[in-house]
Amino acid sequence: MKYLEDFAVGQVTEFPPRQVSEEEIIAFARAYDPQPFHLDKEAARQSLFGGLCASGWHTIGIMMRLMVDHMIGEYASMGSPGVDQLRWLKPVFPGDTLHLRGEVLEVKPSRSKPDRGVILTRYEMRNQKGEPVLTMIGKGMYRRRPAASAAAGA
Amino acid sequence: MQYFEDIAVGAARETGSHTFDAAAIIAFARQFDPQPFHIDPEAAQQSSFGGLVASGWHTAATVMRLLVDSAIDLEASLGSPGFDDLSWLKPVRPGDTIRARMTCLEKSPSKSRPGIGSARFRVEVFNQKGELVMAFTSIGLMRLRNPASQQE
Repeated sequence: MKYLEDFAVGQVTEFPPRQVSEEEIIAFARAYDPQPFHLDKEAARQSLFGGLCASGWHTIGIMMRLMVDHMIGEYASMGSPGVDQLRWLKPVFPGDTLHLRGEVLEVKPSRSKPDRGVILTRYEMRNQKGEPVLTMIGKGMYRRRPAASAAAGA
Repeated sequence: MQYFEDIAVGAARETGSHTFDAAAIIAFARQFDPQPFHIDPEAAQQSSFGGLVASGWHTAATVMRLLVDSAIDLEASLGSPGFDDLSWLKPVRPGDTIRARMTCLEKSPSKSRPGIGSARFRVEVFNQKGELVMAFTSIGLMRLRNPASQQE
């Protein structure tokens, strides 16, 4: 298990590519974001997006799954207090392959709770053409290494 | 109808409500956020949450559904370029019921794209006890009912 101390400012993670299918775009949109441009190919063609595209919340879900499978899952995660500056920059279309990259901006041990801290990470997702489709500043709360927190509390 | 002209700065819209159950919390998290405190009631008991909690993205996606069902006009909506300052303030647990309130902070017609306006909204999400569980500031793009009114 890895802890807060195992994150370093400037650390970069490149996540494995993830292709997005039309079926999953429509299934997510039916459940959570039933706007015509996420559900209906004809309506989507007439929209600003020019074709069926994923709900931005679905793109976030795909990003979160990559993070859990390839980063957060190895650490003593305590959840997240929030995120900031999320931008959907380009639509995600069926068949697109997404490439996620994260760079740690800050590692901040908590002042009031010596057993934990927060890291700030800038995430960027690009499509197969190299165009950014999503950017976000994520906040992750992690446990400190047990010995370190005992020493800090002493 | 919520075309750009229909939105008043300071005005709030309320959504309907949604109740979370453990099966749905686990199903969403298995697909998108398989951390132990979202998928495994036993492990969740031992976590800092003290029990199973919904993925914050499950809460967010559910809020989107509530907004689509009761606060966003599908004829007028053109999607969103993003959001800022999203906070998860309290866990959402099985049996909790949430509803959202969307308050317009500001709006302006697009200078570069005729017929389109954008507005910023503070979205606040409450549980059945009236506690704020999540909040974010969303940006929405929408059609003008009367594009000629842009030339003001």
